[in-house]
Amino acid sequence: MNAETNYGRFGSGHSVQRIEDPTLVTGKGVFVDDVSVPGQLYLCFLRSPYPHARIVSIDTSAAMAMPGVVSVVTGAELTAAGVKPFPNAAGFKRPGGEPHASPPRLCLAEGTARFVGEAVAAIVAKSRDEAYAARDAVMVDYEELPMVVATDAAIEPGAALVWPQATGNVCNEALYGDVAACDAAFAAAAHVVTLDLVNQRLVANPMEPRAVLAVPDAQTGRLTMRMSTQMPSGARASLCAVLPDIAPEKVRVVVGDVGGGFGMKTGLYPEDAVVAWCALKLGQPVKWTADRSDEFLATTHGRDLLSKASLALDAQGKVLGFRVSSHANVGAYATPTGVAIQLLIGPWVTTSIYDIPVIDFRLRAVLTNTAPTGAYRGAGRPEAIYIIERLMDAAARQLGIDQADLRRRNMIRPDQMPFKNLMGQTYDTGAFEKMTTQAVELADWSGFDARLAESKARGKLRGRGIASFLEWTSGNAFEERVTVKVAGDGYIEIFTSTQAMGQGIATCYAQLAVDTFGVSIDKVRIIQGDTDRGVGFGSAGSRSLFTAGSAVEVASKKTVDLATQLAGDALEVAPSDIEYREGSFNIVGTDRSIGLFELAARQPAHHVFVDSTTKVDGPSWPNGCHICEVEVDPETGEVEVSAYASVNDVGRVVNPMIVIGQLDGGAIQGIGQALCEEVVYDRDSGQLITGSLSDYALPRVDMVRSFKTRLDQSVPCKTNPLGVKGVGELGTIGATPAVVNAVVDAVWRHGSPEAALAMQMPLTAEKVWQALVAKR
Amino acid sequence: MNNFDFHSPASVADAIKALGAGDDGRYLAGGQSLLPAMKTGLSMPTDLVGLDKIAQLKGICTSAPGAGKPALHIGAMTTHASVAANADVIRLIPALARLADWIGDSAVRARGTLGGSLGLNDPAACYPAGVLGLGASITTDRRTIAADDFFKGLYETALEPGELITEVIFPIPEKAAWMKFKQPASRFSMVGVFVSKGPAGVRVAVTGAGSCAFRARALEAALEKQWSPSACDGVAISPAGLNSDIHASAAYRAHLITVLAKRAVAQTV
Repeated sequence: MNAETNYGRFGSGHSVQRIEDPTLVTGKGVFVDDVSVPGQLYLCFLRSPYPHARIVSIDTSAAMAMPGVVSVVTGAELTAAGVKPFPNAAGFKRPGGEPHASPPRLCLAEGTARFVGEAVAAIVAKSRDEAYAARDAVMVDYEELPMVVATDAAIEPGAALVWPQATGNVCNEALYGDVAACDAAFAAAAHVVTLDLVNQRLVANPMEPRAVLAVPDAQTGRLTMRMSTQMPSGARASLCAVLPDIAPEKVRVVVGDVGGGFGMKTGLYPEDAVVAWCALKLGQPVKWTADRSDEFLATTHGRDLLSKASLALDAQGKVLGFRVSSHANVGAYATPTGVAIQLLIGPWVTTSIYDIPVIDFRLRAVLTNTAPTGAYRGAGRPEAIYIIERLMDAAARQLGIDQADLRRRNMIRPDQMPFKNLMGQTYDTGAFEKMTTQAVELADWSGFDARLAESKARGKLRGRGIASFLEWTSGNAFEERVTVKVAGDGYIEIFTSTQAMGQGIATCYAQLAVDTFGVSIDKVRIIQGDTDRGVGFGSAGSRSLFTAGSAVEVASKKTVDLATQLAGDALEVAPSDIEYREGSFNIVGTDRSIGLFELAARQPAHHVFVDSTTKVDGPSWPNGCHICEVEVDPETGEVEVSAYASVNDVGRVVNPMIVIGQLDGGAIQGIGQALCEEVVYDRDSGQLITGSLSDYALPRVDMVRSFKTRLDQSVPCKTNPLGVKGVGELGTIGATPAVVNAVVDAVWRHGSPEAALAMQMPLTAEKVWQALVAKR
Repeated sequence: MNNFDFHSPASVADAIKALGAGDDGRYLAGGQSLLPAMKTGLSMPTDLVGLDKIAQLKGICTSAPGAGKPALHIGAMTTHASVAANADVIRLIPALARLADWIGDSAVRARGTLGGSLGLNDPAACYPAGVLGLGASITTDRRTIAADDFFKGLYETALEPGELITEVIFPIPEKAAWMKFKQPASRFSMVGVFVSKGPAGVRVAVTGAGSCAFRARALEAALEKQWSPSACDGVAISPAGLNSDIHASAAYRAHLITVLAKRAVAQTV
C-alpha cells in the first residue's frame, strides 16, 4: 500500500472512508435535540385517542394552572390567528372529473379529529416533564363518530365517511392506458394470470425522531428553525405558506446531523408549524422532540395499496396486456405527496423493464381514519415493482417457463433505448438482460437443485425468487445550485442545499471535488443544511448525487477556470500558458508556479468564489436483478434468507463502499417489508396496535447471512455529466419481491400452489405455516 | 416519569422496611421492565427501593456436600449475564444458562435479574418457564414457595405485599432443554418451552402462550411414558385459553408448543 498518500485515492471510484463518520461514530454528531438555547421552552402534543371524533370542547384551564406551563394552544386559536391549512392534493381529480375532496389538514385538529394520534393541542412549559404532566390535564370532550381504517372496508357501500364530499371515501382517481385495447389483448391471450396483492402499510422509523428548535430573534424579527429534515428549503417554503405574515427571508432553516430520513422527513409536518408559531407568539425559543410514540402515530406512513392485477400472455410467454386496479389508503388527509406517490409515480414504473404493448391502470386514493401516507424509501416504485414481479413469477409458474427466461422474453432491449414507456417516461439507458444474466450467474441459479436437496436433507424447504426491475429517480427536480469557495486559509468549502441524512453524500461530493482540484480530501469541506446559504430542492428520490454531484463537478471546474484566469494575472502570463495540477498553477515549460490557496489568499476577498447552477437533462433509471434463496422450516413456517445476490446497474460509481451500503441497507428494509413489518390498526376500534417497537417488527441485521452485491458500471447515465444513477432506493425496491417470490417458491414446491400464490406480506412464520398446512 | 423517593438499603430487613414506609413503593431489581413502564407513565410508584447494594441477594452456589440433594442456589439479584456465564450453571444446568443468555439483549442481561423477572411475572418472560420447568423453589424473606404454586396469572404471583424473593433453588435435572420462539418485534418468547427430567419429575413448562407460565400436562404424560422426541408427535395442545394477538393466533401457539417441546427433548437425547 505504498504511494497511498497521493490525493488520487480519495477521488471518485474509490471506497473512501466516509468523512462524516469520525464525528458520528464517536457520538459527536449534533442533532436537533443536542442543541439547547437559553430560555428555551418545551412543547409536547396532546393527540386524539379516537380514530374519528367530534371535538365538543377543550378545557385548558387546569393545564394552564400546572407548574411551569406557559401556554396551551388549540386549533381554534391557530385558525383565529390566521394559520392556514396544509395544501391538499388538488392536482388530482375524483372519478368523473370531479375536483379533489379531502378534509383540510390543520396544524391542530379543530372541530373533528380524524385519526388516532392527530395532534389536538400543544402544551408549552418550562421543562419537558412539566409539559408532559400538563398534557394529562387538558380536558377534551370528544363525541365519537363512525370510523373506518381498512381500505377494503372504506370502499364498501355504506362505509363511514371520512369526509362527506369524498363519496365512497374516494378522494382521487387516475386512469391510464387504453381500456378497449387492453380488453382485446386479454380476450386474445393464451394465458391470463391474476393476483390480488396487498402492499401493507409501513412506518419509516429513522433512528432519530423528528425534532424542531424554533428560535425567534427579537432584534431582526427572524425565526431560526433548527430541524431534522431532508428538505430544508421546502420546509421553509411550506412553513411560510401556512403561518400568517412571515416571509421566507424572515425564516432560516438550519439542519445539523440527521439520524435517517427515508423520505419521511421530506415535508413540513403540522407539528413543525405549531412549534414555530408558539415560538413567534411567545417570543421565546421552543423545542419539540418527538418520542417514538409520536413517530408511530403521526409521521407519514408508507405504502398501503390493495391491488388486483392481471397479465395477458401468449403461448410463448410474451406479455400482451397488463391490467391493474388499485386502491391506495392515503389516510385521513390526502397530501399532495401521498397521492402522487400512488397515483402517478408508481404507475410511471409499473411496466418496469418490460416491453408491454398495452396497459389499463385504474388507481384510486381512499380516505380512512388513519395517519396520512407519504414518502417512504421507494415511494410508489416498491408497490409498482412488487405487482409486476409477482405477476411475472405467477405467469412463469402457469406457463411452466423458467422465471428468469420469462422475464428475458419480455425485456426492453438496449437497441430500443431511449425507450418511452406507456406512461410517457423515457428511459435513457438500460441493459436489462445483461444484468439478469450476470445475476443468474452470481446466484448460481442453475445449481439450485443441489442446494434444495441439501436443505431437504436437513429437513428444510427451500425456495428461490427473482426480481428484475428498474426505478425512476430525481423527484423531477433537476436543477442544483452549488457554491465553491477556495479560501486563502487553505481549504475548499462547497455548499449545497441537498442534505446529508446518513447516506454519505458529503463524502461523495468531496471525492468529486478532489477529482477536479487534485487536493487531499481533508482540504474539502462540505456545507449543507442552511437556507441562509442557499435554497434548493433537497435530498429525496435518490437525486442528490446525480443532480448536486453534477453541480459540484461543474462548479469545481468553473472554479479552476476562474482561478486559472486569476493565476494568469498573478504570474503575468496568458491563462492559456497555465496548467493546473494538484493544487498548483504552473506556467507551461517553466518552473514558475503559484499554489491554489496562495492564489486565493492574494485575492481582495482572500478567496476565490464561484456560484454555479447546473441542470441535468432528466431522471436516472437505475436497475438490476436481485435473486434470493430462502429456507423455510416446515414445522414452524419460519423463513430464513439463506442467500441474496444482486447485480445493479447504477451507472458510474463514485464510492463503491457507500453504494453497496445503500444497496444492502435498502435491501434489509425491503426484506423487512417482505417478512415482518406491518402497521396494524384494529378494524373495530381504529386503534394503532403496532404503536411501539415491541409490536412493530423492524428487520434486524441477523435476518440476512450475507449479500453478494455487484455493481455494473458499463451503462453510464446519459442525462447527467457524471453518468451516475440514483441508488438510495434501489435495494428496497428489489428485495421485497425477490424475497416474497422465494417464499412463494418454497411453499409452491411443498405442494400448496394456491396458498403460495395467495400469500400476502408480511410473510410471518404463522402465515407461511398456514400456507404449508393447506397442502393438497 | 413521575418523581419518587429512591432508597438503597444494604440489607433485606432494611429493604422491607423502606418499602413499607412508602405509599406505593416498588422494589427495583434491575429495572428492565419497571423503568420503561415508569417512563410511559404506566407505573407511578412513590418510592423505589433499589436492591443492588444487598450482597446477600447476589451470587450463585451449589448446595454444600452432604446437605441433601444437590441443587443450584441463585440469588434473586443475580443478573441474567451472570447466570449465563456461571461455570456451575453451565456445568449443572446448561439449559438454564442458555435461557439466561437468550433473554433480551446484552444491555438487558447486564441489568435484569432472576428475582426481578419472577416478581414481575411477565406472560412472555423466559425465567418463569425455567423455574417451573425445573421444579425450582422460590425462597423469600419469609417462606419457600414451590414453583408450581408461584405463578398465579397475568403479572400475578403468590408473593404477598412487600414480600421479597431472596433466592431460587434449582434441583439438578438429568436432562433439560430450552427452546424459544421469539416474537419478531420484542424478541420476548412468543412461545418458550422448557423441558426437564429429574428429581422434580418430567416437566414441560410453557411461557408466552398463556396468561403466565404453565405446565403442558399432556406432553408431560407422553414424555413420562417415553422420553423421546417422537413421544411428542400427535400430542395436540388445545388452543382454548391461549394468547392470540397480531403476532400469533392461539392455534399457532398451541402448535408451536408441541413442536418446541419435541425439539427441546431432541436436544437431550
